[in-house]
Amino acid sequence: MSARRRAWNRLRQDRGGVLGLVIVGAFLIAAVGVWLGAWGQDWAIADGGRWQPPGRDYWFGTNVLGQDVFERALYSVRTAFEIGVVVAVLATALGAVLGAVAGWYSDTWVDGGILWLKGVLDSIPFYLFVAAVAYALQGQAWAMHFAMVATFWTGTGRLVRAEVLKLKSREFVLAARVIGLPGPLILARHVLPNCSHILLVQATLAFVAAIKTEVVLSFLGLGVQDGVSWGLMLAESTQEVLAGQFANFLSASIMLFVLLTGFNLLADAMQDAMDPKQAAL
Amino acid sequence: MPPTRSTRRIILSAVCCALVLAGAGCRDSSEAPGEPTAPATVYRHAMDGAPRSLDPAQASSVYAKMLAVNLFDTLYRYKYLARPYELAPNLAEDMPQVSADGLIYTIRIRPGVRFIDDAAFPEGQGREVRAQDFVYSIKRHFDPSMRAQGAWLWQGRIVGLDDWKASGSDYDAEVPGLRALDDHTIQIQLISPFPQLTHTLAQGFAAIVPREAVERYGPEFAVRPVGSGPYRLTRFDSAGAVLERNPSFRALPFNLEAEGYDPTRQGELGLERLEGAIPPFTDRIEVEFIAEDAARWNAFIAGETDFIKAPVTQFDRILQERDPPQLLPELAARYRLAANLESGFVHTDFNMDDPRIGYHHDADQRARNTALRCAIIKAFDWQRRNEVFYYGIGRVFPGIIPPSAAEFDAAADRQWVTRDLDAARDLLRDAGWHAGNLPVLEYGFPASVTERQMFEQFRSFMGDIGYPAEKIRPLTFATYGDYARAYLNREVMLTTTGWTMDYPDTENTMQLFYGPNASPGSNSANYDDPEFNRLYRAAAVMQPSPMRTALYRNMNRIVLDDCVTISGIARTLILLWDRDLVMLPDRSFVGGFFFRFVGSDRQESAAGAAAER
Amino acid sequence: MRFALLKLLHGILLVLGVTLVSFVLMVWFGPDQTYTLIGKNATTEQIAEVRRELGYDRPFVGRYIDYLVDLATLDLGASNASGEPVARLLARTVPVSLALMLPGFVLGNLLGIALGLAAAARRGRLGDRLISGFSVAGMSISFLVIIILLQVLLSTPYGLDLFPVRGWQVDGPASYAYYVTVPTLSLIFVTLGYNTRFYRAVFIEEAGKDHITTARAFGASQATILWKHVLKNSMVPIMTRVLFSIPLVVISGSLLIETYFGIPGVGRVTFDAITNGDQPVLKAVVGLTAVAFVILQVLAELSYRALDPRLRT
Repeated sequence: MSARRRAWNRLRQDRGGVLGLVIVGAFLIAAVGVWLGAWGQDWAIADGGRWQPPGRDYWFGTNVLGQDVFERALYSVRTAFEIGVVVAVLATALGAVLGAVAGWYSDTWVDGGILWLKGVLDSIPFYLFVAAVAYALQGQAWAMHFAMVATFWTGTGRLVRAEVLKLKSREFVLAARVIGLPGPLILARHVLPNCSHILLVQATLAFVAAIKTEVVLSFLGLGVQDGVSWGLMLAESTQEVLAGQFANFLSASIMLFVLLTGFNLLADAMQDAMDPKQAAL
Repeated sequence: MPPTRSTRRIILSAVCCALVLAGAGCRDSSEAPGEPTAPATVYRHAMDGAPRSLDPAQASSVYAKMLAVNLFDTLYRYKYLARPYELAPNLAEDMPQVSADGLIYTIRIRPGVRFIDDAAFPEGQGREVRAQDFVYSIKRHFDPSMRAQGAWLWQGRIVGLDDWKASGSDYDAEVPGLRALDDHTIQIQLISPFPQLTHTLAQGFAAIVPREAVERYGPEFAVRPVGSGPYRLTRFDSAGAVLERNPSFRALPFNLEAEGYDPTRQGELGLERLEGAIPPFTDRIEVEFIAEDAARWNAFIAGETDFIKAPVTQFDRILQERDPPQLLPELAARYRLAANLESGFVHTDFNMDDPRIGYHHDADQRARNTALRCAIIKAFDWQRRNEVFYYGIGRVFPGIIPPSAAEFDAAADRQWVTRDLDAARDLLRDAGWHAGNLPVLEYGFPASVTERQMFEQFRSFMGDIGYPAEKIRPLTFATYGDYARAYLNREVMLTTTGWTMDYPDTENTMQLFYGPNASPGSNSANYDDPEFNRLYRAAAVMQPSPMRTALYRNMNRIVLDDCVTISGIARTLILLWDRDLVMLPDRSFVGGFFFRFVGSDRQESAAGAAAER
Repeated sequence: MRFALLKLLHGILLVLGVTLVSFVLMVWFGPDQTYTLIGKNATTEQIAEVRRELGYDRPFVGRYIDYLVDLATLDLGASNASGEPVARLLARTVPVSLALMLPGFVLGNLLGIALGLAAAARRGRLGDRLISGFSVAGMSISFLVIIILLQVLLSTPYGLDLFPVRGWQVDGPASYAYYVTVPTLSLIFVTLGYNTRFYRAVFIEEAGKDHITTARAFGASQATILWKHVLKNSMVPIMTRVLFSIPLVVISGSLLIETYFGIPGVGRVTFDAITNGDQPVLKAVVGLTAVAFVILQVLAELSYRALDPRLRT
C-alpha cells in the first residue's frame, strides 16, 4: 500500500492535479445536490419571459420557453455525472475483464477472439457506430450508454492485456499458479488489483469521452431523451447564437469546459503520480 | 537515411494529394457558366430542406415539388398572383371540359411542346410531349416497382385504374378511365364525382415524364430528370441544385391579368415591366438546401442567396411591426417582404384508438376520457405557443378549417382555443380525475430542438392544471420516418403534425378525420364518428357551394365538441427577397411555379459577382 | 509468405466481423425506410408492397449474404432515397470530404508534432507546462462548441465576418480557401490537444531511451538529437497514428463538420443514410471503410518493418 500512498503524495504536490480534484469535487457536490433534490429542480418550469437577460430571478437568463437557464445548466451536471459514471464504470470494467482474460490466455483462441472483437469495433468509424447503436436501440433510455460502453472498453482492454502479460511472469503470480489456484481467482485477486492505476486513469478518460460524446449525440438527436443536458442546451443554442442569444451556449459550454478540464488535469496528474516509470524519467 | 527520405516523400505526397483532391472536390468545370454569351441572370433560392428525389412520382415534400414543377410540365398550375389561389392551364390548352354528370373530363394539351434533349431519345433529340405521356405518368403511381407516392390522389376514383394495378401494372394494357384519345387529347372517366380532380392535376405528382427516360435510367431517373418544364437540371446534390433555362420551353408571353394581378396589393412589386416578356425570365436558378435556420439566415444576410423563408428566431430582430409584418427600415431598404399564411396548420391529435385517452368500451370511462381530453385542450395556452414559437404572428383558430381555406369561419366560437384553467380543473374534478389516477401521457415527437421545446412547453402547460410532470413522457424518435411509423401503427398517444394542404379545398383537411382514413391513413387521430363520416361522404362529391360550406362547418363543430385534437395554428411565413428581384415568392400552392416568373434588375452585378468568385 | 497469408486471413475475418456488426446494427435493426416512402393515406397493402420492394420481407441470412456478395463484386447498387448509383454518390462525395478534411488533418498533425517536440525539448520547464496546459484545454472543449464558436467569430457580424457560414461552392483555389478555412480551423482545434499530448509522450519516451542518452553523452547538439534521433525513431508511432486515423477522420470527423457546415461530403451523406434508412449507401460506406481499414493495417504492419529495422525478423 505504500506505493499507493506515495502516489497520493505525488498527486497532492501536483498543482494541476489538485486543481482538477477541486473542480471535479465541486461539480460532484453540485450533482449530488441535484440528485438529493437540494437544488436544480425547477429546470422544466417555463414561467419566465422569452429570452430574458440575466438578472436576480434568472441568474443566467431564460431560454426561448422562459425556462431558467441556470437551473437547466445545474441540472445538467447531474445528467453529465450519470452518463459519465455509468459509462466510465461499465466500459472500464468490461475492458478490464476482457483485457485480463485476453492477457491471461494469450495466444489462444480466447485471446484471438477478443482481439478480433476489438479490431472489429475499432474498424467502424466511431460516431457512425455510436449513432447506429443509439439508433437501433432508440426509445430505450440506455441506448446511448450502451453504445459508448461498447466502444470505449477497447482502449482499456489493450492496456490491461499488456499489463497482464507483464504480470503473468512475475513471481507472486507464478507462485499462485504453482499452488494450484484457478486462473480466474488469480486474475481477480492478484492481477487486476495491480492494474488499478491503469483502470483509474482509463475510467477518468472514459468519463471525459462520454460527456463529449453525449454532446454530439444530443446535437444529432440521438442523445438524452428526457431531461436536460449540456448537449441538449448546445443543440438548442445552435438555433440561437446567430440570433444573438448566448445564454444556453455560454452556460453549457463553459460548465462543460471547466468540468472536462478538471477531469483531464486529474487524469494527467494521476498518470504522472502512479506510473513509476514516468515518474522516474 | 532511408527513413527520413521516405518521411519526406510521405509528407510531399500528402501535400500533393491535398492539392489534387482539392481540385477533384471542385465542381465540374463544364458546369461553370462557360458560354461567352450575354451575361446570365441568376436567381439564388434558399430552401430549408432538400428533396430526396426529383422524380415527380416521389415529389411528396414541398421541396421536391418545388423542383419537380420546374423540371417537368403539369397540365395545370396555379395562377402566379391570384389570391385566393386559382387554377390556370399549363401544358393543357384550357380548363377541362367536364360532362354534365361530372364524371368525364376531356383535356386538350398544347401541341409542339418538346422534352429536353437527352440520350434517352433517338439521336438525343427531345420528342414531342403527347397525351400518352400523361397517361403513362399517372399509371406509374399504380406500379409498385416505381416507389411512387401519389396514388392516394386517384385511387378508387378513376375507372379501371385500381384494376390495372391489381392485374400486374402492365403499361401496354389500357385503363378505360384514363386514355389518350389522340396525341393531344386526354380523357379521364371517374367512378363518382371528384370535384378536386383538376387540382390533383396541378400537383408535382401529376407532372409528365417520358417513358423512354424512365426505362432507360431506372431508379437513377430520380437524379437525371428529363422533362419539358421551363428549366433543366445541371447539378444536384445534398447541398443544392442548379437549374438552367430550357431553351426550347414554349414561348407564351407573361400576362398580368391572366395571372390574377391585383395592382392595389401588388403594385409596388414592379411586376408591370415584365408584361409581355417571355418566361422563364431568369437564365439560371441556384437552389441551396440549407436546413439549419441560422446558417440559412447568415447566407442570406451575407448576400449569398436572394430569397429566404426567414427563421422565426430572427423575427425579433428584423420586424418592426407584427401585424401586418413590416421590416426594420435598414432591412426594408435591401429586401422586400411577403407574409405568406400557411395553407395548412399544426395540431396535436389524441390517439382515439388508445383506451387510456380515447374510445373505451365502457361508456362511463369513455365519457371520463372525453372530459380529460377537453381539459387538456382547455389548459393548452395557444397564445403563449404562438408567442414563443411563431413570434405571435401565427393564426390560432378553432378546429380543422384553416384560415387560408375559403370555408374558414372567422366568426366561429373560440372557446376551444382560449385557455381556461378553471374550466379545465372543473372538467377533471367532475370526471373524478386527480393527480393520482391521471394516465401517463406519451407525447411523441422526432428529436429536433424545436419539437422538444414544444413538448416541454406542453408539459409546463399541463403542470398548471396539476398534471404531474412525471406523468407526461416524451416518446422521441430519431427521424421523422420512425415517428411516422409509430403513429401510423397507432403507438403514439399524442401526435403533433403539421398538415400542408395539397390543394385549396377544405376536403383536403376534412379527410384527416374521416373514419376510413384511420391509420395508416392520414387520420392519425383514428377518429371514427358516424355522423362526421356521413357528412364527409355527402360533401365530398359536391362542388363548392354555401351548402357544402355549411356541411364543413358542421363537421368542424363535431370534431371540436368531441375534443379529438388540440387545434390549431396556421403559421405565417415571412418571405424575404432582394429588392433587385422582381417577383412574388410563394410557399403554398403556387410554390415552385413562381420560379419561371422571377425577373431581375441586375444583369451586370450578377455577372460581376460570378466573375469575382 | 506465411506472415502475409496470416495477415490476409486476419483481414478477411476482420472484414467479416465488421460487415456482420454493421449489418446487424444498421440494416437489421436499423431505420426502416418504408414510412418515408409511402404516400398519404396508404393502405396496409401499400405498406407491404413498399416493404417487399425494399426487400425488408426477406430473411436475415439471405440479405447478409447478398450484402457480402455485392461488396465482394463491388456492386454497390443505387441509393434507396434518390436512386443515384452508390458508386457515383461516393465518387462525388469522397473527394469533397478529403479536400475538406486533409488540410486540417495534415496541419493538425504537423502542428501537434511541432508542439510535441517543443514540449519534449523543454520537458518540465515553463514552455512544456504551457504547451501541456494548452493541450489539456484543447482536449476539454467539445467539438460542437468549437464549431459554433468559430462560426460565430469568423463568419458572422458578431465576429470578423470573413468566411461563409456554410456551403461548398468550390471552383478554384481561392474559393477553396474561402470555404475550407473555418472547417479546417475547427478540425485543427479539436485534434491539436490530443495530437500534441500524444506526440509529446512519444518523444519523451523516445528521448529517454539508451541510444539518445548515449548520443547526448557524445555531445550531440539538442537540435541534432531532436531531429536526427528522436523524430526519426518515433516514426513508427507517428505513422500508426496517422494511418489509422485517416478512415475515421474522413467519416467521423466529417460527419459533424459536414452536417453543421452543410457540405456535401461522405460524412453527411452517411449520416443522412442512417437517419433515412438508406441501406445501400450505409452498406457501401461501412463495408468499404472496413476494407480500407484492414488494408491500412496491413500496410502499417509492412511499413513498420520498412521503417524499423528492429522489427525485421
